[in-house]
Amino acid sequence: MTSTTARLDSAASRRVRSPSLIKWGLGIVILALLSWRVITVGVAEGYPASFWVSQALNGLVLGGVYALVALGYTLVYGILFMINFAHGEIMMLGGIAGYFALQVFTAIGWMEGSAALVILGLLLIMTIGMATSVVTGVTLERLAYRPLRKAPRLVPLISAIGASLFIQYSVLLIFGVSPHVYRKPALLEGGFRVGQVFVSYTGLIIFITSILLMLALYQIIQRTKLGRAMRSVAEDKDTSALMGVNVDQVIVFTFILGSALAGAAGVMLGFHNTVVKFNSGFIPGIKAFTAAVLGGIGNIPGAMFGAMILGLIESIGPSALGIPTEYKDIIAFSMLVLILVFRPTGLFGEILSEKKA
Amino acid sequence: MADQEPLRRGIQIGLIAFAILTYAILIGIPIRLGAAAFPVLSALVALFIFAMLRRPMKGYPADRPAISIIRQAVTAGLIAGALVAALIWLFTSLMADGVRLQPIFDKVVPQNIAALHNVSPGAIANGEVSWTSPLLQIGMMALAGLAGAGLVLLNRSQGADSLRARRIPGAKWIVIVLPFVLMLFVIWLGQPAATFGGAHKGTVRLLLAMITFGSGLFSLRQASQPRERIIVGVLLTAGALYMPFTLDQFQNSVMGLVFIFAMMGLGLNIVVGYAGLLDLGYVAFFAIGAYVYAFISAPFSSPFITQQLINLGIDPNTPLLGFWLAMPVTMAIACVSGALLGIPVLRMRGDYLAIVTLGFGEIIRLFMLNMAPLTNGPRGLLRIAPPAFGSFALGSPRYIFLLALLGAGLIAFAAYRLNDSRLGRAWTAMRDDEDVAQATGINLVRTKLLAFATGATFAGLAGQLYAARQVNIFPENFTLFVSIDALSIIIVGGLGSIPGVVLGALALKGLPEVLRGIDEYRIVAFAALLVIMMIVKPEGIMPAARRKRQLRRDDIPVEESPGPNPDSGAAASLEERSS
Repeated sequence: MTSTTARLDSAASRRVRSPSLIKWGLGIVILALLSWRVITVGVAEGYPASFWVSQALNGLVLGGVYALVALGYTLVYGILFMINFAHGEIMMLGGIAGYFALQVFTAIGWMEGSAALVILGLLLIMTIGMATSVVTGVTLERLAYRPLRKAPRLVPLISAIGASLFIQYSVLLIFGVSPHVYRKPALLEGGFRVGQVFVSYTGLIIFITSILLMLALYQIIQRTKLGRAMRSVAEDKDTSALMGVNVDQVIVFTFILGSALAGAAGVMLGFHNTVVKFNSGFIPGIKAFTAAVLGGIGNIPGAMFGAMILGLIESIGPSALGIPTEYKDIIAFSMLVLILVFRPTGLFGEILSEKKA
Repeated sequence: MADQEPLRRGIQIGLIAFAILTYAILIGIPIRLGAAAFPVLSALVALFIFAMLRRPMKGYPADRPAISIIRQAVTAGLIAGALVAALIWLFTSLMADGVRLQPIFDKVVPQNIAALHNVSPGAIANGEVSWTSPLLQIGMMALAGLAGAGLVLLNRSQGADSLRARRIPGAKWIVIVLPFVLMLFVIWLGQPAATFGGAHKGTVRLLLAMITFGSGLFSLRQASQPRERIIVGVLLTAGALYMPFTLDQFQNSVMGLVFIFAMMGLGLNIVVGYAGLLDLGYVAFFAIGAYVYAFISAPFSSPFITQQLINLGIDPNTPLLGFWLAMPVTMAIACVSGALLGIPVLRMRGDYLAIVTLGFGEIIRLFMLNMAPLTNGPRGLLRIAPPAFGSFALGSPRYIFLLALLGAGLIAFAAYRLNDSRLGRAWTAMRDDEDVAQATGINLVRTKLLAFATGATFAGLAGQLYAARQVNIFPENFTLFVSIDALSIIIVGGLGSIPGVVLGALALKGLPEVLRGIDEYRIVAFAALLVIMMIVKPEGIMPAARRKRQLRRDDIPVEESPGPNPDSGAAASLEERSS
């Protein structure tokens, strides 16, 4: 193992050395330009501190949701080395199921009832969304990915793109074009103030829920037997099979975990954006994948931090750089390109990623 | 009991068939089929059962008794029939009670269910559907099972591959001559007197024209001796170039689009198929080509450029350069931007590369959308000049098709020559293993940048022609889906294979145009096809010989970038065990 690592190290450094000086020079220039822009434009605008804080809070809420989706990408990638391009659609289906569950609970009056009933209803909605996503994810794995496990990289990717389009347009055909509008229960409306900063209940709940789910995932992966099996399969599929790990079962379990998180994210994004429609999983999916790559794909804490950073930059970036908010996607993607130029394995990626990338 | 297993499998197949039928009903297929809805669905189930039972079951002899297969297939049909009849009956009774299901399932309307019962939509609302209808449906599905079993038995009695194995004498010559026969037929169809195809004559002709092109590719492949090859090639080229003059305006316009995408696919084929660099943002160069030509030929559309030209004392209302003079400019700009994209991604591999290129494509589109002073934002650039020879404008679909044909031919020739050149071999080596390629003295930086730049140049050319075809271009013309389309074209056609790319463009851009009538379903059908294709025939319709060998080598798992210590033998046996 050590000799392999050493070889990888030398290979990496050999590839880095020649353009190193230019690269870091360029990096410093870009950083200087950015800070100059932030100081002369962003700070000069004279927004109060509370504005920045509330922007940052928005970013954290969005980042939490991205993190849940990004974890799904990273888990699957860590084990199968494939981009599950349809992961955004798995999330969207969770959101759609959550919408119908919400309609049902609203119709039977739970959403106007006592606080306990509302919370129970919300938990059930979340569970239904997660269950739908899990069913979708597992079916997808069985039909579109498992037959291709031995094929070259491009083949499962194309299959995933096909699956993604298929789910999107099936939803369009089955449920129609009109967006499904989430109506928040009265209990969740509004928020409270901390000093000058307004904190909405929805945002707070989304953030807390996503943190709780991430902690739960971390516990599952670190503490349970299946979690240990997952880690070993991610390390080396063949050797784990020799050690008696059922690789197929672990892969299915990985899809279950990833899809459950995506389903929760879909429901929460529904409450956050208030609408769900056939293509509402696409952009968040790509963003979440960006976040996963940002943190070093295959790396679980990396995905969480990558998503938080992406969320923060997306919400603070436009005002700090003094550019219209329409450019926030450009900021996200440019940041991705820049970070990958300087750290090709992502922010927290190890040298291990060389093998997988 | 030993006989339980086939029955269990039959039930499984029935359940899957039920899922497919439910899907078909939910997306509203019966509305399109009308009275024929249920028989057509039954036929579909029969084919499905045949496809599932075609191969001998694991652990059972290939010649197990016919009754076992029949029992299995009929069970599947009965299960599917009973479940789907129950579902349809549920919808029927709900609708009879006045429940509107449309707010949930957009396509579950009385019309849909009525088509399944073969009654008028009014009868559903009044609850006039007879109770015999579900029984009839179950019976039809059981018959479908029987038919499926019949197909299996028929197939078995003929021997699994007897059809394929038997060589028809002169088959080669039939394949070679076929495109010319088809072409004569297409030309004859153009006569006003020809009535073949009735009201759909135009569509039939378009479809036949595409098949002609497709069969021409097969014909060229069949001609093995060099002399044959030259003769067939010259004749086919002459035929292809005559094609635009016999088709009508709509047919030419569709064919023009198909060949513009073929140009793009051929360019992307260099990046992905030859050099193995997965580029998901290829649309960026297509867009750059289109926008640069638009700036040159319609400067008045862009406020910023208009202002600059007025400052310089140039009239912004006339094109700065003609189509032909603009060509080197667009190609050069696309080429430079390709190399510029290449620099930051030099050290990335596989999926990182895919996501960064995807990001680049989106960045370009968002710039086009938001940089209103330069690109006129979502309102787009309007009145782009058509290509012209002197005062003879070539803007009609006929000449655009001709130009696209010539462009595709040019790019195909360049790609063909490049593939056999020193650079092409370097690309192949790099695709198969970067580290080994570097060790054998290939300059990775140069090779990669050349791949990106070459691909981008061709995309720029395709983009310029596309802008000329569209006359007005908008940022929405250049979404991620264009990249995905181009990628699907080269993968469905056969990665690395030039005729495959053209065939892929015909199949993926042409067929949907022919199927305009079922517009709604074409993306779903296309997506499902993509998945099925990847599972059944991952090397594409017309694979490059080399890639076919790689993908069909069953004993050794093929990986694009093996890790530092791949012990393939152990991996192969393990993978087989685990899957």
